[in-house]
Parts: sequence; C-alpha cells; structure tokens
Amino acid sequence: MTVLKTSMRNFFAHKGRMALSAVAVLLSVAFVCGTLVFTDTMNTTFDKLFATTASDVTVSPKEAKSDDTPQNGKPESLPASLLEQVKQAEGVKAAEGVVGSSAVTVVNSENKNMGSNNGAPTIAGNWTKNDLRSMEITSGHAPRGPTELMVDADTADKHDLKLGDELRTISVAGDFTAKIVGVATFKVTNPGASIVFFDTATAQRELLGSAGRFTQFNVTAAAGVSDTQLKQNVAQALDGTFKLQTAKENADENRKDVGEFMNVIKYAMLGFAGIAFLVGIFLIINTFSMLVAQRTREIGLMRAIGSSRKQVNRSVLVEATLLGIVGSILGVGAGVGIAIGLMKLMSAAGMNLSTDDLTIKATTPVAGVLLGVVVTVLAAYLPARRAGKVSPMAALRDAGTPADGRAGLVRGLIGLVLTGAGGFALYAAGTADKATDGSLMLGAGVVLTLIGFVVIGPLLAGGVVRVISAVLLRGFGPVGRMAERNALRNPRRTGATGAALMIGLALVACLSVVGSSMVASATSELDKSVGADFIVQGNQRIVPQAEKAMEQSPGLAHVTSYKELEATLTSPDGKTDDSGVTAADPSYAEDLRRVTTAGTLTAAYGKDAMSVGSDYAKAHGVKVGDTVNVAFKGGETAKLKVAAITSDDSALDQGARYISIETMRKYVPAGQIPPNTIMFAKAKEGQTEQAYAALKKSLDNYPQYQVRDQTDYKQELKDQIGQLLNMVYGLLALAIIVAVLGVVNTLALSVVERTREIGLMRAIGLSRRQLRRMIRMESVVIALFGALLGLGLGMGWGATAQKLLALEGLNVLEIPWATIIGVFIGSAFVGLFAALIPAFRAGRMNVLNAIATE
Amino acid sequence: MTSAVTITRHGGTGGRTAVAARARQVVKAYGSGETRVVALDHVDVDIARGQFTAIMGPSGSGKSTLMHCLAGLDTVTSGQIYLDDTEITGLKDKKLTQLRRDRIGFIFQAFNLLPTLNALENITLPMDIAGRKPDKAWLGRVIDTVGLSDRLKHRPTQLSGGQQQRVAVARALAARPEIIFGDEPTGNLDSRAGAEVLGFLRQSVDELGQTIVIVTHDPVAASYADRVLYLADGRIVDEMYKPTAEAVLDRMKDFDARGRTS
Repeated sequence: MTVLKTSMRNFFAHKGRMALSAVAVLLSVAFVCGTLVFTDTMNTTFDKLFATTASDVTVSPKEAKSDDTPQNGKPESLPASLLEQVKQAEGVKAAEGVVGSSAVTVVNSENKNMGSNNGAPTIAGNWTKNDLRSMEITSGHAPRGPTELMVDADTADKHDLKLGDELRTISVAGDFTAKIVGVATFKVTNPGASIVFFDTATAQRELLGSAGRFTQFNVTAAAGVSDTQLKQNVAQALDGTFKLQTAKENADENRKDVGEFMNVIKYAMLGFAGIAFLVGIFLIINTFSMLVAQRTREIGLMRAIGSSRKQVNRSVLVEATLLGIVGSILGVGAGVGIAIGLMKLMSAAGMNLSTDDLTIKATTPVAGVLLGVVVTVLAAYLPARRAGKVSPMAALRDAGTPADGRAGLVRGLIGLVLTGAGGFALYAAGTADKATDGSLMLGAGVVLTLIGFVVIGPLLAGGVVRVISAVLLRGFGPVGRMAERNALRNPRRTGATGAALMIGLALVACLSVVGSSMVASATSELDKSVGADFIVQGNQRIVPQAEKAMEQSPGLAHVTSYKELEATLTSPDGKTDDSGVTAADPSYAEDLRRVTTAGTLTAAYGKDAMSVGSDYAKAHGVKVGDTVNVAFKGGETAKLKVAAITSDDSALDQGARYISIETMRKYVPAGQIPPNTIMFAKAKEGQTEQAYAALKKSLDNYPQYQVRDQTDYKQELKDQIGQLLNMVYGLLALAIIVAVLGVVNTLALSVVERTREIGLMRAIGLSRRQLRRMIRMESVVIALFGALLGLGLGMGWGATAQKLLALEGLNVLEIPWATIIGVFIGSAFVGLFAALIPAFRAGRMNVLNAIATE
Repeated sequence: MTSAVTITRHGGTGGRTAVAARARQVVKAYGSGETRVVALDHVDVDIARGQFTAIMGPSGSGKSTLMHCLAGLDTVTSGQIYLDDTEITGLKDKKLTQLRRDRIGFIFQAFNLLPTLNALENITLPMDIAGRKPDKAWLGRVIDTVGLSDRLKHRPTQLSGGQQQRVAVARALAARPEIIFGDEPTGNLDSRAGAEVLGFLRQSVDELGQTIVIVTHDPVAASYADRVLYLADGRIVDEMYKPTAEAVLDRMKDFDARGRTS
C-alpha cells in the first residue's frame, strides 16, 4: 500500500515532468482511437445505407458483380420476361425490374462532371418503389418520359442544380440529355455517390441500349414469408441460374467490398499510429530515466530504510501505469475528436458523413487504454530496473547526476552486429534477382538497421555531435562549447532523443528517395519509349462517341485505340493463362516503342498474329512462329501465331500481349468489344500545338477524360506521386511531432536537472540571452544528430528499395537533395522551436533559488 | 539601530575610492502583513578595498542575505547598494549580469564548478562568457598561487573537495574582480582543506590586493579576516578588527548567551 501511496505522491509531485510523456501517449492513443472510430463510423454509414437500399430478395445475372462493369461497358442484364416468372413464385408480394449502371458520367450544360472527385461512383438508373425506402422526393416529381430525370439532393446542392436544368448522361449506349424534374433526398447518409434517375423505359434505352431488359429484380416478400424462404421460392420459379441474394446477403456483399477498402485505410493509419507509439517509447524511457536519476538519493534512502529492490522497481512501474492511464483516457477522448475532425474534413472534400452515425464500439476505448498503458509500462521497464539497482549508499553520497558509465563495449558490439546484419540484408535486397526474396530482405534490413542504429545511437552521439558542433557552434565561443558538452554529457539520453526523431525522418527520406526515383524513372522511360504526342485517359473506359470525337479532331497524324480484352491463352506446352490480351492499332508500335527480343511488332499486328512478353515466352518456351490458342471472353477461340517477343525489361506495358484491332474484330462480336482503355495520338508534322488545343476542344464534351501531351503527362505523374508523398508525410507528421515533444521533454528535464549549474553560471555572469542560446544550441545539435542519422538511414533504405524495384522498372535512382537538405535545415529549426519553452523557463530561473536547490 | 559602523565617505570625483562596496539603509523583507519577515533591517555597511571582511552571525541573522544583496544576486526592499561608485540597486537584470561577470567574483559553499568543463575552463569561464582574453601572466600567477598547475585538465569529478574549492578561488581571482564574495566557502571542507583555501584567500588579499567578503559561522575562518562584522536579527550589532579565533568565539558565545537570556 505504501508503495502505491509513494508512487501516487511522486506521480502528482512530478506531474509537470510527466506532462509531455502524457501528451505523447495521448497523441498515439488518440490516433489509434480516432482511426477506429472513424472507420467504424464509415462502416455504420454504409451499413445503414445498404440496409435501406436492399430489397428482401434481389435477382441478378449470375455474372454480375457489385463492384464491376463488364468489359463491354454495359451492365449484365436480364430479359423482362423473367420478371413475370418471378412474380409467379410463391410468397412474392411484389417484384419490379431495376435498371442501374455505374459506367456512366453525368455532366451539366457547361460540360462539368457532376460526379464526385473522391472515387465515389456516379449511378444512373430507373426510379423504383424500392428507392422510396431510402429516399424521398423533396422537390418536383419522379421522372416521366424520355426527357426527364431526377437527381439526388446532395449532388443538386453541391453543383447548384435547379429544376429545369439540363444534364447529359454519357454511357457506351450514347449521350442523352434530359431536364431535371425532381430532387430526391436520402433519409440515411449517402457517403458520396451521385445519382440520377429516369423512368424505366428511358433507363433501359439509354443505359442498356435495349428495351425490355433489366439489370436486377427487386422482390418483396408477402407477409410471413422470410427472405430465405422467398429466395428459395424464387429460385424454383426461375428457369436457369441467377444470382439470388437476400437483403442480408446483398448488404453483406456490399459491406465486404467497402469493408476491405476501409480495412486498408484502417491498417495504414494504425501503422502510422504504431510509428508514433514507437517514437513515444523513447520519450517515456527518457522521462523515467531522468526521473530515476534525479531521485537517486531519495531511492537510496528508501532502500536504506528497508525498501526491497522489487518495491522500488514496482513503485516506478506504478507511476508508469498511472501515466499510461491518464494519457490513454485523455487520448480516447481526443481520438473521438480526431474522428469527428476527419469526418468534417471528408465532408469538406465532398463526402457526406453525419456525426449521428458516430460509432464508438466498446472495444475502442478498451483497446486504446490497454495499448497506452502497456506501451508506457514497457517503456518504463528499463528505467524501473535501473531504479531497483540503486544502492542504499546513494542516499549518503552527494547529489549530482550519476554519470552514465558503461554504455560502452557490449552496446557497441550488439549495435554493430545488428547494423552489420541489417546492412548485409539491405545489400542482399539490392542485388536480389527476384522481387519477393528481395522485399523480404529489404524488410529485414530496414528493421535490423533501425534497431542497430537505436542501439548504437548513444555511441554515435559522441562523434556526430562533435562534428556537428565543430561545424556549427565554432562561432559561438564558450556558450557553443558548453552546449556541445551538455549534448554530450549523457549520450544515452541524447541518443534516445535523437533516435526518436531519426525514425520519422528516416521514413521521410526513404519515401522521398523512392518517390523521386519513381518520377525520374517514369520520366526517363516516357522520354525513351513514348512516341505519342497525346494521351487520353480517364477513370472509365473511353466511350465510342468520345473515341469518334477524338478521331475527327484536326491536325492529327494518327489516333491509336488500345483495348484490354479478357481472354484465356493456351501456350503450346498446354498451360493456360487468363491475364488477357491487348488489342491496339498498329500505330501503337510508334506510340510506345517496345524493344523486341525476337520478331517485329509490325508482324505481330498482322492478321492472326500476336506478340508475347519475354517472361511469358521464357516460362512457356514460346518462340516466334509458335501458335497460341486465345479464347476471347464473349467471343471465339483463335489460333494466333506469335510474331514478336517483347522485352519485359520495361516499366510500361510490361508483359502485354498485342494483337491488332483487326484480328480482334474477327473473333469478338461487335457487342462484346470493349471501349478503349486509353487512347494515343500523334500530331501532324509541325502542328503539335494546334493539334493539342484542337484535341482538348474536341473532347470538351467528355470531361471524364484527360487529354495530356507528354509534358503535362509527366507533370501529372509528378503531381500524383507528390500528392501521395504529401499524404504520407502528413501521417508521419504525428511521429515527428511526438519526436519533437521528445526533444522538448529532454531539454525541459535537463534544465530542471541542471538548475544549480544554471544558477552558478548566471551568478558568475552568464546573461539570460547567452543561457537561452546555450539551450537552443544544445537542442539544435540533438535535432541535427537525429536528422543526420535518420536521413542517412532513410536514404540507404530508399536506395536499396530502388535497386530492388529496378526489377519492376524503377531504373533511375534519384536522391531528392532539395528535400533532404530542406529536411536537415528544417530539423535545425525544429531544434530551435523545441528549445523555446525550456530556454524561456531556464532564463526565468531565480539565480539564488537555483543555487540553493539541492 | 546602526551601531558601530564607520561611515566613511571617501570619494571625490573619479578614481577608486577606498570603499569597494557600501550599503545604505538596506532593508530586505519577505512576505507582507503579519507574515512579514525582515531579513535586513536598515543596514549600513562599508566594505573597505583591499581588505578581507568576514560577516558572522547565527542562523537567520541575515548574513547570507546581506552578502547576496551586496553581490547583486538579490534585490533589496529599500535602501541603496553601491559597488564602487555604481549604484546597483535598481539595475536591470542585464546590467546586473554584466556587473557580476566583469566586476565580481563568487565562491559558493558547494557546487562551484561546471561538471562538463575542466579545471582550466572553469577558471576562465567568466572571461570566456564576457568574450575577454584572460591576462596570461596574471592567470599563471593565480594558478601557481592556488597550486593547481598539474590539475588543469582534470574534470571537477576527478578533483577532491579542497581542490575544487581552490579552482573556485582561482576562478574568482582570475578575472581580477573588484570584489570577491564567498558564501561559506569552506563550509563543505575538512579543517585542513579549509585552512588551505582560507590561506589562499588571505594571500590574495596580502599579495594581490584583492578585496574579499565572506560569510561564515566558523570562528577559525573568520580569524583569517581583517575585520569581522556581526549580524543579528538583520542588524549589524558589532565588529572586530584583527580577530583571532578565540576572540571571535568568545564574542559569539557572548551573543548566544545574550540571545538566550533576552
């Protein structure tokens, strides 16, 4: 009991010194809980949506997938005649035909895309009774006839649409303009899909291109008939096999798709929270080490009057537990705040989320607190053990901080061995022949070198700090010298503080190296192999009317179609492969210059010919002149002669098999030919600029596709990678913030520890400014130490990753020096910033009190 | 209320006065109202230049407070303190710091040295902070006087208590301050080491002409001084010139007895 009481008193007596550790725990726990609450809330939102949108039983074509449209760009459909069969089934109260397609784009009269820009789909369909369960018409009326449509309220709000405005719906079936006659509002939260409704006949004609077909039947059960029973009844009533789902199965399938996506987000964010925790551990270790060191005499006294080692040890751990509990509980609260903040952020980005759906599962706070406490106690374990080892004699000795003696040999050896092993693993990863072996080695190398650096950090601190100081602090005379000595006096502390910063910055450096190498590699690849002047591409396949518009654009020497076809290949050795083929115009050979290891691409675009990739050729012993059986999906099986083998040492179109559009037409019926995935064009000699402007203008009507020349394409690529990196940096910021708190923490506690020294220096004439400068410089040196280690380590990782990914076409290593140097200089400022409060407090110390402090 | 204090006004214009520091009607009070405690009660004192002064008195007599105020470490409630001709009461922290750095030397009871600096660096620290070059010849003489030539590269932890105090004395002397203040400089030392340190202080007064003020409760330490001031209840109650340890001890006993009977 006394142990608990002493711990409690110590905890509250030193709550100021614990504050930053608590904040570190708080931040990490908040991030974990925020992630959980946010993803749970998203799931709740989707669950509610799916629960209200699914009818008792749905009947769809057996090939239908909830998240995909078939290659020809038209949804799978059922004949209307089947609906009558469904209605005849026992226990059916009502059944209605549904038309729905997500392979559409809706634009307003100014050709602005009405869809969301965050990946949520645009859905067009007929207005059915089932929709009334989740939506209500809040203005106007339901669409009637071929020129009317209804839009959902969120889309109407976002794009300021009013009744009477015209919207154009673009699908493979053609363009189609209709007037808004109604607005329907969701009764539950719609996370972001844009929805337009037509009457049934219009939807059938304009979306499926044929009357009398539906994509799905919604069946409602009569009173007393369960969904499962109804499903069985309907299945019996129908001839042939279909995809039948109860409301629950339907919702589950939808939820699974969303859930998988949400899980990716969740685990990625939890990963970053984990890094923050890791960084926080250093902070906590430092705090407890310093508390124990400062309390050495007190602990000695406890031991002298009869406390056992175990009791001393336990008292420190109890303090850690208290710290963990306080930090975690606050963290859980902050986590809910973060979740709400994220939801607001998503709303601002066009995704509707309602705080009404805020879901805090019981497991969330439990997991948060448990995690926070366990991590804190684990981190405090080593300092607690050291506290237990304090001898009773310490009570008698003069105060002063015990020097940190034998950091030396053992630590150095272990660190060297780990770093060495890690370095070897990285080397192995860089020289690996197979990506899978290499990535395993890379992972091992990253982990081992990181741990190695953390272990060896205190030893490196000596040398690195001296070098940094020699360069940086030379001009600051005695103040600089004292700052250097202070940074050096407890290498373990400096090492741990620097290591915390090292982790975050190593990841930043690694990712920036990989990112800029990606840009550089892609750019060099584009320069080397892309001959096309213009590239047209979008999130959806290019509808035929857009293709036509492009072909009619003036000033173009040629326009290339590029279609991805589902097909199963059977090579002469009898093995099958269903990764499909690419059908393109022969001009594609100019647009993308592929190196062939045998044959010519021109021949591959000949009649009944094809090309294969070198990896495939090697694996199946395929040579030029061999015949490969290609079974086209929805078409016939062709015997195609291999006329070229393309080298797979390429980042673009790696492994693609080419056939000509001509050959494709021979074996695939017109209705099954997919729209172009991407299109290329080349301008006529000397007309590049005019042709570019004209092409953009020609495709004005189709804003879902981007027209880019090579320069813009490269820029876009760079921007995209830059955006991705910025997002990751944003998430890493958490870990870096915790590391900065660690620097503040170390300095603040050091200032407390050195109170008497500061008093002495002030007494013999050190001015406040000099004192503050001394603390700032110590901080800068520690920060730069962490940055130097982190950036060095990260660049090593990045370069290794590039060597490994060279197998996947990441051929160019580019070190983004601007970023690296920027981060290094930024770290110096971070050091200055971290020292602000500790320096201010040191400056305000009363000289006399400081000297008198025991 | 101010008894037995010679109020001598040297001066005139410019040049050094024979008084290194003086206090005029200095009051130092803590708290207010009923809890008001007066540590110094209208104290007037002159510290003669080139002399070794010891301030004595029982615990709580205000002797340390007086020294701290004279040295510009502490502020006064009222009254004036002059260092040479400079009034230091009312100076801002920046000026006070400069004053301490350039014109005053300190020796504390313990913790006089920075653990990260070696002996020599500790000795030259005040001058380093000020950005001044130490006078080589003077520095050599000081180091020789305190007998530390072979210990200059040692860190404080590698020195004995006596050696550490000698380094502190050397530091105080090296910058040639106008006045050195010692707060129980031998309080943490055994009698032999204490005698060594006091010997050096005496020597620096005699040979180098240094002005020194120490606070002590040790009659033996006081006996090294030229003049002893006795403080009780925040007032100067007596003084003694050319003291011996026995005389000081007797006077102390006297005060103690009076204190008990009154």
